[in-house]
Amino acid sequence: MKTLPLFFATVFLAHAQTPAEIGIQKAQELIAKHPDHVAYYSGLAMAYARRARETSDVQFYTKADEVVDQALRISPDDFEALKVRTWLLLGRHEFAKAAKAAAELNKRVPDDITVYGYLADANAELGNYADAVKATQWMLDLRTGNVAGLTRAAYQRELHGDLSGAIDLMQMAYDATAFQESEDRAWLLTQIAHLHFLGGDLKQAENHAQAALELFPGYHYALGSLAQVRVAQGRFDDAVALLKQRYDAAPHAENLFALAEALDRAGRKTEAKTAFAEFEKKALAESTIADNANHELMAYYTDFAHQPEKSLEIGQAELARRHDVYTLDAYAWALAASGDYGRADTEIREALAVGVKDPKILQHAAAIEAKLKPESEESARP
Amino acid sequence: MRLKAKLGLSSLAMIAMLTAPANRLYAASHREAPITALDHKADITDWFTFVSPEHPDRVVMILNVDPFLEPSNGPNYFPFDPNILYEMKVDNNRDGIEDLTFQFRFNTEIRAPGVFTGFVGSLLKIPPITALDGPGSEGFSLRQNYTVTMNVGSRKVDLAYGQKLYAVPSNVGPRTMPDYNALRAQGVYELPNGVRVFAGTVADPFFIDLGAAFDSLNFRMAAGGGVLTPAVDADDAHNYAPNTLAGFNVNSIVLELPITMLTSDGKTHPANDKNGVIGTYGTTSRLKVTVLRTPQDSGNANGNGNGNGQGEWAQVQRMGNPLINELIIGTGSKDRFSMDDPVNDSQFANFFLNPLLAQIFASINIPVPPAPRLDLLPLVQYTGPICPFCNEGDAGPIADLLRLNTGVPPTPFQSAKRLGLLASDASGFPNGRRPLDDVVDIAARAVAGILKNSATYGTRIGDGVNTSSAPLPATFPYVAPAYSGRDSAHAGPGQLGCTPQPQGICPVN
Repeated sequence: MKTLPLFFATVFLAHAQTPAEIGIQKAQELIAKHPDHVAYYSGLAMAYARRARETSDVQFYTKADEVVDQALRISPDDFEALKVRTWLLLGRHEFAKAAKAAAELNKRVPDDITVYGYLADANAELGNYADAVKATQWMLDLRTGNVAGLTRAAYQRELHGDLSGAIDLMQMAYDATAFQESEDRAWLLTQIAHLHFLGGDLKQAENHAQAALELFPGYHYALGSLAQVRVAQGRFDDAVALLKQRYDAAPHAENLFALAEALDRAGRKTEAKTAFAEFEKKALAESTIADNANHELMAYYTDFAHQPEKSLEIGQAELARRHDVYTLDAYAWALAASGDYGRADTEIREALAVGVKDPKILQHAAAIEAKLKPESEESARP
Repeated sequence: MRLKAKLGLSSLAMIAMLTAPANRLYAASHREAPITALDHKADITDWFTFVSPEHPDRVVMILNVDPFLEPSNGPNYFPFDPNILYEMKVDNNRDGIEDLTFQFRFNTEIRAPGVFTGFVGSLLKIPPITALDGPGSEGFSLRQNYTVTMNVGSRKVDLAYGQKLYAVPSNVGPRTMPDYNALRAQGVYELPNGVRVFAGTVADPFFIDLGAAFDSLNFRMAAGGGVLTPAVDADDAHNYAPNTLAGFNVNSIVLELPITMLTSDGKTHPANDKNGVIGTYGTTSRLKVTVLRTPQDSGNANGNGNGNGQGEWAQVQRMGNPLINELIIGTGSKDRFSMDDPVNDSQFANFFLNPLLAQIFASINIPVPPAPRLDLLPLVQYTGPICPFCNEGDAGPIADLLRLNTGVPPTPFQSAKRLGLLASDASGFPNGRRPLDDVVDIAARAVAGILKNSATYGTRIGDGVNTSSAPLPATFPYVAPAYSGRDSAHAGPGQLGCTPQPQGICPVN
């Protein structure tokens, strides 16, 4: 009987910790016992990376980097450590480097589906969609129904405009995810909410975002997703509250932009102005590094600061790195704002050719097209 | 914002990876790739192609799947999987790409859904099973029929011309199936155009001391410890070590066709004519989840249709030469190898031309030639001795195909040599492969360099298992009837099964 309180205490402790925290603790204990066993370092690094997702605190990536360095000092050619390094490159948005590193790992061990996942991620971000689809297909072919492959396939379907197909796959991934993986399941629910939002089903989007928040209270991705719904519902003050909560948890420039935008929509112009100013300062500070908020910064210069030339400058730098649909859209919108509707049309058509059905991109495309049709009565001021 | 969301995507993927077991054991030649270790039904155990000893103007192809079927494992025994596409593929113009494909699809019917087993006879007023259809088939509840289709380009031909073909069930036992051999004979179908076909459960013809091989090549000292004595090597009729496959069944599809249906010009050719050389392999495939759906597929989550009722298939496994995936391909590449096409095998060239197994042999003082091992090219390219008149331009890409010179006359099975081409039996492996060919010994010796120089590199490597435990019939379908579920036994170490050993007991050491 004496052991029962201890049992409950252990259970309580386990539930008080997130999956990443448990992973960090376990890996640290193992390293303390076996300091020369390289696999434990890779495990710790991945746990840190996972904690970064849970908290949105990029400091955990730095810690993960340090641990990978330790692993590679012990075993310079260790495959798992090199995989984690590639994953961290993705985390830092060094997509071209990540794609190259993943291709090398894939050549070395072509059966490793995680590496196909890295190839899919890096190529999707770079805008190399055919390569991303190919890598994702290999994931599904090698291990039918694996969660990692399903989520990536869902993202590809989303990018290619098949929203219901994307929801199907995300739901399959959710159904296949273990009960204990609360953050994973919350992330999947958030993605399903996002897809319903894109498809215009605000009720489903709201339900899934709220379910994610019940599963993982205060989850920053879900807060953002629910706020998106509130904006669409015209409940701007509610959106502001959610986005403030998110920014407190994850103080990134892009999150501040969303908050400033919501404040503006809510008519709280003074607060919005302050938030935009702080955002601009913050986003400019990281604009030249890979992990930046340049899409949001471009939107700010185009839609709020009315300085499209600054947006174009950032857009050109970003397009030198990648040509994904979101970068193409932001650049096209900046071109339109500067009056160059012809080039804007070319850029946005490249994005539309992929099949993407993001309402914002479609709205931009329609506005640009309207400007190119003199007979049209529609007008939109970019 | 999008970027951060994508980080989540990647992170989730990684987490899912971390929950997967980091290390797997690959225990058997019949379950060589991780993906097939998880998918027994799609696991190809063996692939054979040889000139028919009954009809020298025909070629026989055998696709064996689903390993280690314990004969007594009822109540459903071992149906083929209706969700798998079984295929036999033939390259007849030396480009490494199939020109002809023979497809097999199975369909299952449960004829007595209230009965607790798939097969019952001499009980409950149900007569014993003596027929695959009609009277005598009443107890044959779990019955499968199948189709065989030849694909040439976009043309499809039903080789059975509408005839219903039934798969032969496992041998449940004498009460249920009192004359199993007669029952099985009904599953041999003579089809139009000189085609014969059979599908069903059979005794696994393969033979190997699997336990010793995968215990880090810990072969029995009683069988020479991995290097056979001349006497043991010359004995094609007995086993000196346990045959792990003894007593196990396997599912088999056997197709015999005129050579004229297989060659590019529809003719037969003598052995010195390269146009008589074909390359073959077998595959299993399942419907796949496609990343991108076509508009016609909306409403189907998997996206695995192409809108005209025909599915897209993901290859689960393939086999051309025996033991390539087991012994040559690195563990981290086995699945990719299984799922890719032979024509893309140059990506695995380093495995072929510098095999790890050769390095292992060298480490235990068995002489092997230095890499690159161009002497192994006959296994993966069209060249001599199988294609003696093929010049450099005929070699084609590196591709794991089982190459057969259809112009080489078949050796009657009674006088055939287990070491095939190595024993001057020109109709044996690696010129095609017959069930009696001892591919374990042949392949090991090939890796050790016997094809380069038999005097220098001709170590008599062998596991001491020289013959199949079920007598291999010299007539179609060339594989033995399934072991009886009620009356069968296996031959492990310390058990009966090695005739030349004291009291026929297979050695432990």
